[in-house]
Amino acid sequence: MSSPILTGALNAPSTGHNEPASLARAASSSVENGTWRGELDLTVAPRAGRSVAVRQFHRGSLRVLRPHYLDASGQVTYAVVNPGGGYLDGDRYRTNLALEPGADLLLTTQSATKVYRSPRDHTLQETDVRLGADSRLEYLPDQLIAYRDARYDQVTRVAMEPSASLVLADLVTPGWSPTGEPFRYDRVRLRTRVSMAGRPVVVDNLLLEPGAHGLDGLGFFEGYTHVGSLLVIDPRADDAALADVRALLAERSGHVRAGATATPVPGMAVRVLGRSTPEVSEAIEAVVNLLRERWFGQGAVDLRKY
Amino acid sequence: MLSSTTPHEPLLTLLQLCDSALPTGAFAHTFGMETYLQRGTVHDEATFQEWLAQFVDHQLVYADGLAVRLTAEACAAPGTGTGTGTGTGTGTGEDAQSGIDFLIELDDLMYAQALPSQVRQAGLTMGKRLLDIGRLSLPGPCLEKYAALVDAGPCHGHQAIAFGLIGTDHGVPATSLVSAYLFSTVTALMQNAVRGIPIGQNAGQRVLGVMRSHVTRAEARIAQLTLDDLGAVSPGLEIAQMQHETQRARMFMS
Repeated sequence: MSSPILTGALNAPSTGHNEPASLARAASSSVENGTWRGELDLTVAPRAGRSVAVRQFHRGSLRVLRPHYLDASGQVTYAVVNPGGGYLDGDRYRTNLALEPGADLLLTTQSATKVYRSPRDHTLQETDVRLGADSRLEYLPDQLIAYRDARYDQVTRVAMEPSASLVLADLVTPGWSPTGEPFRYDRVRLRTRVSMAGRPVVVDNLLLEPGAHGLDGLGFFEGYTHVGSLLVIDPRADDAALADVRALLAERSGHVRAGATATPVPGMAVRVLGRSTPEVSEAIEAVVNLLRERWFGQGAVDLRKY
Repeated sequence: MLSSTTPHEPLLTLLQLCDSALPTGAFAHTFGMETYLQRGTVHDEATFQEWLAQFVDHQLVYADGLAVRLTAEACAAPGTGTGTGTGTGTGTGEDAQSGIDFLIELDDLMYAQALPSQVRQAGLTMGKRLLDIGRLSLPGPCLEKYAALVDAGPCHGHQAIAFGLIGTDHGVPATSLVSAYLFSTVTALMQNAVRGIPIGQNAGQRVLGVMRSHVTRAEARIAQLTLDDLGAVSPGLEIAQMQHETQRARMFMS
């Protein structure tokens, strides 16, 4: 119960009401390469029974901590760190993940990602993922905290072999005002495009605009404040797995509003609306753990924070 | 292009395509509205109109609406393989291939972006029906190319794309096609609401009266979108469509 999706019980950072954008900008002495505020490339391959990084590159405000092996499966775990402290208006980040055939990577973050006011432009996180045959990526980041007037675009492109396995989680929470009201961030767009053999097979395009439409309106947040999303693409996915996931979500229907469906290629998409980070993250986490056990015989995610 | 046969061809084509009796099966789909009915959130004229406006603005615009526009533009552009600008409906060489490649990509994207499986199935089922109807009654070079791609396997066959191609084959401008598609979808949903909620026939007509200007604004928004916007959706609408799959005692297929 300590994975990042779960641990963000405090979605209100102590300085939340200050939105210390200028401060964070001044403190961030990272490389200004003119294009990217942070860059990260990571290539993972299986070596002697466990996965290792065979290539690593980082520049600016993105890097990874040293790897860990959380169980005996050989799956390597990396945590991404953003030393800049948060995403500021106009910041652009680039991540490139390549998993060679048979590689197994659990990627997480060291802490929540904070997106501050973006009155002029927006912030952008681009991620390119290549998954070789029989490789597996679980990406379970901490929550994204979007402050007042924040505009954030996340673009994730995944090119995968049909035998590979993909788990992508997202959790978007509002920052909180000094009076305890959730900030209405301007726009968060989470766009994921999965392709196989060069053709798009799943497009997951979630658009959150509480600034324009409020949190109560039918069709949007419907009175909830937090949004969770989980995209699973895996050749093992079938109706029975989907039914079990739905049963798990139904147990939580008193706290969250959730839906699950089968994707165009074997897999499932899960959406969760809730009122706190723990509620939503726990629901997503339960689904992730169910599938880990069912398909890989692995225990629950246990990401100790180092 | 068949529009030369009669000056009214574009208008009559739209009337036929948008007739609520066109047998594509639209009467069977609510795109998640039935979940709101079951929750009690949609229960009268006002709440239906609220849902309908949100569905148009925050899903239909980004999916089918944008697809109709992109289809019509790709098809109508002179020199593209699916274009009718030359009057022959056939391009040559690389141009022809690029037009076909775009159609295949858009068709892939329309299938890929519909995550709730009932919504995906609806686009497919109604698409197949519209392709058949088009071939029988509104044939044209663009539609025939797409239908052949569906028959041969590369394309899934989506209703918005078939609609855009039929309209372009018969000289309907892209903006009219987009508005007509949105409004015919709104009309079908209104009729489903009349039966499903139920609301009165006059209430349904009042909703349509409000939705006319709404559709016009939606068409203007669609004109500003790009391929990157395709499939954008807000979470509440989508969860309702997912939950519909397991809803008990359904009257509708989505």
